[in-house]
Amino acid sequence: MTANERDFETLSAVMDGEAGELELRRVLDSTSSDPALRATWRRQQMVRELLQTRSISQPNIEVSSAVTEALTSGKNALRNPLWSMAVAASVTMAVVLGGQQLLVPKNSVMQRAVVSDVVGGVVSVLGAQPVQASLGARSLPVAGRQVDSTDNERREVAAMYERLAQDRYRNLGRRHASAAAQTHPAPYIFYVRAPAASGEKSPLQ
Amino acid sequence: MTASETDQQLVQRAQRGDLRAFDLLVLKYQGRIAALVGRYVSDSSEVEDVTQEAFIRAYRAIDKFRGDSAFYTWLYRIAANAAKNYLVSRLRRPGADATIEDAEVGQQVELLVDVGTPEAVAMGEELAAVVEDALAALPEELRAALILREFEGLSYDDIAAVLDCPVGTVRSRIFRAREAIDQRVKQQMSGDS
Repeated sequence: MTANERDFETLSAVMDGEAGELELRRVLDSTSSDPALRATWRRQQMVRELLQTRSISQPNIEVSSAVTEALTSGKNALRNPLWSMAVAASVTMAVVLGGQQLLVPKNSVMQRAVVSDVVGGVVSVLGAQPVQASLGARSLPVAGRQVDSTDNERREVAAMYERLAQDRYRNLGRRHASAAAQTHPAPYIFYVRAPAASGEKSPLQ
Repeated sequence: MTASETDQQLVQRAQRGDLRAFDLLVLKYQGRIAALVGRYVSDSSEVEDVTQEAFIRAYRAIDKFRGDSAFYTWLYRIAANAAKNYLVSRLRRPGADATIEDAEVGQQVELLVDVGTPEAVAMGEELAAVVEDALAALPEELRAALILREFEGLSYDDIAAVLDCPVGTVRSRIFRAREAIDQRVKQQMSGDS
């Protein structure tokens, strides 16, 4: 018996539910590539119908190819893992980009060239508001200043910071002297810094 | 195992996404489903479209088939619904040639057995005569095995016991009987007889 004849015999056994799982798999492999095997399956199903009912319904209809084609094309569109990955990647990208757009204010300095207003005082970070280090004091309104500031403005701002730094230094000195006076019989530390605290030339200058 | 268990095997494979298994089910039942659809829809191209649609719906819903009934019973219900929906959609179309009576007839069709068109019936009668002749012409041992299988519904094991021969021989005899009949049917269908 040839391999082809064996396929036909197995097909007959499949019709009767007498084929094993491996035989069924082999027949399915063969029917998908052998039109004669498919045609035989179809005719023998008709013969069975004729033998059992003495009638046959619509022997000329053929929709199997169209059904398979429709299901195959539908399957590709819906179940192909590459499609799923492509969709997932698109969604992720949309979320990331959308999130960036939402999080950054419309008038944000990110959309313009931003640099430090005070030389050495502010570090420009993409998407972030520049903030002046405040040494514990309230933050200063320096954000959003642009490159086109004049040199005079820069100097004024630098001078303002300097004044603020001196004020804070003096305040710290006074608080420190006050605390030392209460806890130490000789508040020597304050006197060490006394010149700066009393308005003389400070070490910062 | 029985023929309905073959359906069950094929359905299980189709449920795992094996289209080849579903293709064998389509080949097996397309004629009967088309006959059912033909009771609702008279135009032959529409019969084909609705039959095709019924099988597509069946495949997409095949995960819901639990095997509580025969596969054909389940398929029959899907095809009947597809045909009824088609008829209703045609009625809604402007200038529809279907009538309310058509839809009402369609509602009652489910109670009828699925029979073919007059042409199909005539062709079926011719084929039935060919099959009967071919069966009568078979050698006794082949005919006995096939009759016990197709008319009595015996399993290969039972047929082997009745005929007092190995199961492999039963399998071979049934195959050869079918092959001989198929040759005659093929000639008849291609008009060579």
